[in-house]
Amino acid sequence: MSKTEKRLLVVDDEPIVGKRLQQVFSKIGFAIETYTEPAAALEAMAARPFDIVVTDLKMEGMDGLEVLRRVKAMNPAVRVIIITGYASPDTAELAQRQGVFEFLAKPFRLDELKQVIFRAMDELDAGN
Amino acid sequence: MAVRDSLKRYLHLGWPWSRGSGRSCRPISLIFSQFRAVLKANNHALELMADMGEKLSGEYLFDQRYVQTTVEELIRAMHEAVAALNLLTEERWTVLHGVLAGFEARLRAIVTGRDDREGPPLLWLAEIESHDWPLIGGKAAHLSELSQNPLARVPEGFVITTRTFHDLLDANGLRADFDRFERLMADTQAEAAVLEELRRSLEERVLAAAPPAGLLDALAGAVARLAAAATPLFLAVRSSAQEEDMDFSFAGQFRSVLQVVPEPAAIFHAYCQVAASLFGAKAVRYRRQVFPEGGPLSIAACCQRMIAARASGIIYTDDPMAPGARQMVVVGALGQGQAVVEGQLPTDFFRIAKGETLRLVDAAIARKEEALVVAGPGGGLKTAPVAAEEAEQPCLAEAKLLELAGIASHLETFFKRPQDIEWTMDEQGALHILQARPLLFHETDRERKPLSEKLAGYELLVADQGRVAQQGIGVGPVYLVETLADLKAFPDGAVLVGHRDSSHFVQVMHRAAAIVTEVGTPVSHMATLCRELNVPCLVGVPEIFAKVAPGEEITVDAEDRRIYRGRVVELLAYQAATTMNVHMAPEFRMLRRILRDVSRLHLVDPLMQNFRPEGCKTFHDILRFIHETAVLTLVDIGRDEACLPGGKLARPLDLPIPTGILVIDIGGGVAAEAPADRLSFADIRSVPFRAILSGMLFPEVWHRAAMAVGFRDMMHSILSAPQDAVSGQYTGRNIAIISDTYVNLCFRFGYHFNIVDAFCHEVERDNHIYFRFLGGATDIAKRSRRATLIATILEAFDFSVRTRGDLVIARTSNLVQSEMERTLDILGRLIGFTRQLDVQMTDDAAVERYAEAFLMGDYGLIAREGQGEERQ
Repeated sequence: MSKTEKRLLVVDDEPIVGKRLQQVFSKIGFAIETYTEPAAALEAMAARPFDIVVTDLKMEGMDGLEVLRRVKAMNPAVRVIIITGYASPDTAELAQRQGVFEFLAKPFRLDELKQVIFRAMDELDAGN
Repeated sequence: MAVRDSLKRYLHLGWPWSRGSGRSCRPISLIFSQFRAVLKANNHALELMADMGEKLSGEYLFDQRYVQTTVEELIRAMHEAVAALNLLTEERWTVLHGVLAGFEARLRAIVTGRDDREGPPLLWLAEIESHDWPLIGGKAAHLSELSQNPLARVPEGFVITTRTFHDLLDANGLRADFDRFERLMADTQAEAAVLEELRRSLEERVLAAAPPAGLLDALAGAVARLAAAATPLFLAVRSSAQEEDMDFSFAGQFRSVLQVVPEPAAIFHAYCQVAASLFGAKAVRYRRQVFPEGGPLSIAACCQRMIAARASGIIYTDDPMAPGARQMVVVGALGQGQAVVEGQLPTDFFRIAKGETLRLVDAAIARKEEALVVAGPGGGLKTAPVAAEEAEQPCLAEAKLLELAGIASHLETFFKRPQDIEWTMDEQGALHILQARPLLFHETDRERKPLSEKLAGYELLVADQGRVAQQGIGVGPVYLVETLADLKAFPDGAVLVGHRDSSHFVQVMHRAAAIVTEVGTPVSHMATLCRELNVPCLVGVPEIFAKVAPGEEITVDAEDRRIYRGRVVELLAYQAATTMNVHMAPEFRMLRRILRDVSRLHLVDPLMQNFRPEGCKTFHDILRFIHETAVLTLVDIGRDEACLPGGKLARPLDLPIPTGILVIDIGGGVAAEAPADRLSFADIRSVPFRAILSGMLFPEVWHRAAMAVGFRDMMHSILSAPQDAVSGQYTGRNIAIISDTYVNLCFRFGYHFNIVDAFCHEVERDNHIYFRFLGGATDIAKRSRRATLIATILEAFDFSVRTRGDLVIARTSNLVQSEMERTLDILGRLIGFTRQLDVQMTDDAAVERYAEAFLMGDYGLIAREGQGEERQ
């Protein structure tokens, strides 16, 4: 794990997702903010820097691909992880092209997400 | 003897539902493919159920959408299974569609959150079961758990359920406005003024509501029952809203009405005040601020006998100012506790150190000039002066305080979280528990951040090893369980460390801080039980026995899969400070409710009388029925020689022992190059069947010497068993239906009747073994002893076992393939070992002797003792 504290932003319209991730990642030393509305999450992103963004795909108002686009536009270095219960190959491909770091199908083991996030941090620390 | 009658029916007449004459013969290949379609559909449904069960461990992230889509997928799979059975049986079981439809409606009610509307209007607190929870709200759910705990004395009473709340809305024409209110609550953009007006109107109209039909009579009945136990009787009517005391405390947001006179009209009046408080300004504000995404709420009311209180107060099992510091905090005043909760009167303060013995370490006694007491026979409470000599005395003497702390400590272990407990002491000095809710802490960011640094100072015994069977954090002294007998001395609050998973651990789970095993799987029976009882549990932790010493304290973090030496205060503080107990989250509760309706198994055996479509209570029951019926149909077709040209369906199996088994291969169970007329052991490719046969062929298991059957035994067998059973040889009904991964072995050796049904491949959660044993040639006492022997042995191998007379039904599942093969091999040995043993079961001591011999691998004992008997 990295030495510097990493900042994690989570957006998912189902509150349980943010709550669980808050619990899991604050315990292992992340600074984490969670949102159920994409617009509010983007406001936070604009106001404060984040290293890693975890976003749901299907949300009312704005989907995860749009979140990915906007976040990347604000800061191309941000690693974005999309979590979804409806992963179609098409969306996955589209997300790849727009620079998603990883696509994770819900439900997943929390440990899987942790490993993905640790990989993202290693990349960030290596300055990629 | 219903069971024996069923057996006879089975053996002589075929099944009551066996094929009628005049049906067409279908090609064998078609029948096989229809049978396989049944197995496949059944397994798919069981897989989905296992999948949902696994999600409850807390190791997964899932959401409402997962629950909804999986439930719909499960319903589809159930329809497929029913349809597949009807294809195989030529539409004999269309009635199952109707049974399924009823369950389907109920599941959808749960998924859409409408399962609080059906059920009884009142429920007796001590009789509440977990399936009633949607009807009684959070507070009453905790109370019902408490009232079943022998150490907590809870005032008796009943719950006015949420069904009554919905009846009240309907009876008073409030439904449309209530729905509109819930829509506004869900809408974060809703206009405050509109919501306020609607809220106020609902509150007023509920306060003035007329009782739903029959409610006053039901209340009169409940009061009479309470009054019969003791008078004078006054009631406390308290709110129990759906989410109350779950994720969010809602502390003080809803009304409680105390000292209510025991008359139906007065109770109803109090109830209306409680129900109306759901629309109170305070509660609505709280919901919008703290709980905006919470979804619809309904409210129940808990009506309990008032205790004439000498003193009352609160005990926290952990200090909110210093979480994890092992101190309890007690606050108390004289008289009723309302004054303490609302901070109306000065209170005494005590601090008690936990540890091996409880110890009072600090006390600050207030001058208590007033107390809240009963106002008079008309009900209500009033503040009254306290006699001068009492005012400066502690409200609880030290011995009482320690007694209270002991109960609280037990409840903390029971609920696996720090607790906030309301207590009261009556005039006789007996302590009563009025409420227990999870104690919530709020940690500041400054404290939270360095957790991983703080943990660095502790010795890590295990890092990132094992699998999480149930999430959570548990601390306690190590207690090693080598054999099941060790469970008897299990100390309260210890960490159970075992070699293997065992469902027997359930005996101590409510007292265990955590469970760690060297071998195990998160989908075992034990894991399921850990989830039900919320015991943190890590399985598959290599060599944990070698790493810990009995009695030393360890901290098990079954979230990050770590075990520390010693008591990791910071982790405990972290746990206490997490505002969310994940297992109480709405998604988890919904999934648990669904699994309760889906995956319990009541319909275990076709020889039981309820084995009918109408006897099915869950999806699992239906699947069990479908499976058994499909197998019987196949066996039945196999017997119908008119439909079987020249023995192509069943081939005799030649073994070095005389078993007389006919093999029906439905796909991949037999080597392709095997001869068409006979099979040998080497031809068998079915993994589970091979394993059973290996056990049967194990040296000395198959004792060849015929038992010394006494004259009486023989007469008994001739009189009570079907004629062809006496020969002990092939009777045309020892049939193994096999595929590469499946066996259904249905046979009779000697005098008894035995079935093994097993599925075995590399995905552990699909694997199962079902074993049934019945009958014998001797009298019922001897037969029952053999049944006990079999049950004892199967329990030692961690089967879940049910016995009734000489019937034994045993099940196990979710074992890894190697473990399955080992267990099936053991079953093969057991089948051989106990084949004719009932004759020798002359006394109860024989049960123990033979069980011991079997478990020690001394299979020759039977032959030795049998010869001995012959010589006598």
